[in-house]
Amino acid sequence: MNFQDLPPPQQGEPPGAAPLGWACMRRFEAQPALVSMELLGLNQTLAQLGLPIEHLFSLELVLAEVLNNVVEHAYRDSGEGLIELAVSVHGGSIHCTVADHGEPMPGGALPPARRHCPKALALQDLPEGSFGWALIRDLTTGLDYRRDQGMNRLSFRIELPG
Amino acid sequence: MDITLEPRGPIALLHVVPDRIDASVAIQFKDRFRDLVRDWPGPVVLDLQNVTFLDSSGLGAVVAARKLLGEGRQLDLSGLSPAVDKVMRLTRMNQVFPIHGSVEDALAAHGVAPAA
Repeated sequence: MNFQDLPPPQQGEPPGAAPLGWACMRRFEAQPALVSMELLGLNQTLAQLGLPIEHLFSLELVLAEVLNNVVEHAYRDSGEGLIELAVSVHGGSIHCTVADHGEPMPGGALPPARRHCPKALALQDLPEGSFGWALIRDLTTGLDYRRDQGMNRLSFRIELPG
Repeated sequence: MDITLEPRGPIALLHVVPDRIDASVAIQFKDRFRDLVRDWPGPVVLDLQNVTFLDSSGLGAVVAARKLLGEGRQLDLSGLSPAVDKVMRLTRMNQVFPIHGSVEDALAAHGVAPAA
């Protein structure tokens, strides 16, 4: 399927609607600059819904890690391939599903969180990456990965207070 | 990437102008940092007060910047937003950098008097 053939992104309730029952679906190409733009737009929209800023930051960080993984690993930094992002707010949580047609997770399962002890490391041994899955696991609940009909589908929730 | 160098005595004060250090600019951050500190012999303070978003790629770039300076030159961070502070704590990378509330605090820690 060509990118041009796809329907335009569906937007749910307009900003200003009650934060319960809000949903949106976005579809964009797997490029870092587009990921940044999507995150910025989503954050602004959800901030207008009145969701707490600290949880919106957790959402933005987790989505950045998940989407960058898709760009870098599933699509191997090719700059090609589509990412589908579904976000909804209901039942006291922000629900997200990220789908792509790229390579499956190695071993068909989510990587473990890698915990670093920087104090124990020499300067030149400090990690410059591999922080992502620890952040994702720390900040989400209900993390689930499926490989289905050539698609990766990762879903998770960010719990809202109260 | 727009980063400016302000010499303050022995300290190179690097002001990060954009509000995000993420995967889309991590390489540009590293390249610009390397160019700025190439001929600077002393400690470096990275002023992050404009930065409201840092992801793990951005953090990796900041760690790479630290490694670039080597053991001989210190890299301090100042002006962390709550979001940046959270990433630093969750990844425990706050243990790697001296962190200051403001640029003036960072300079004072190095014995540099505040600007008149």
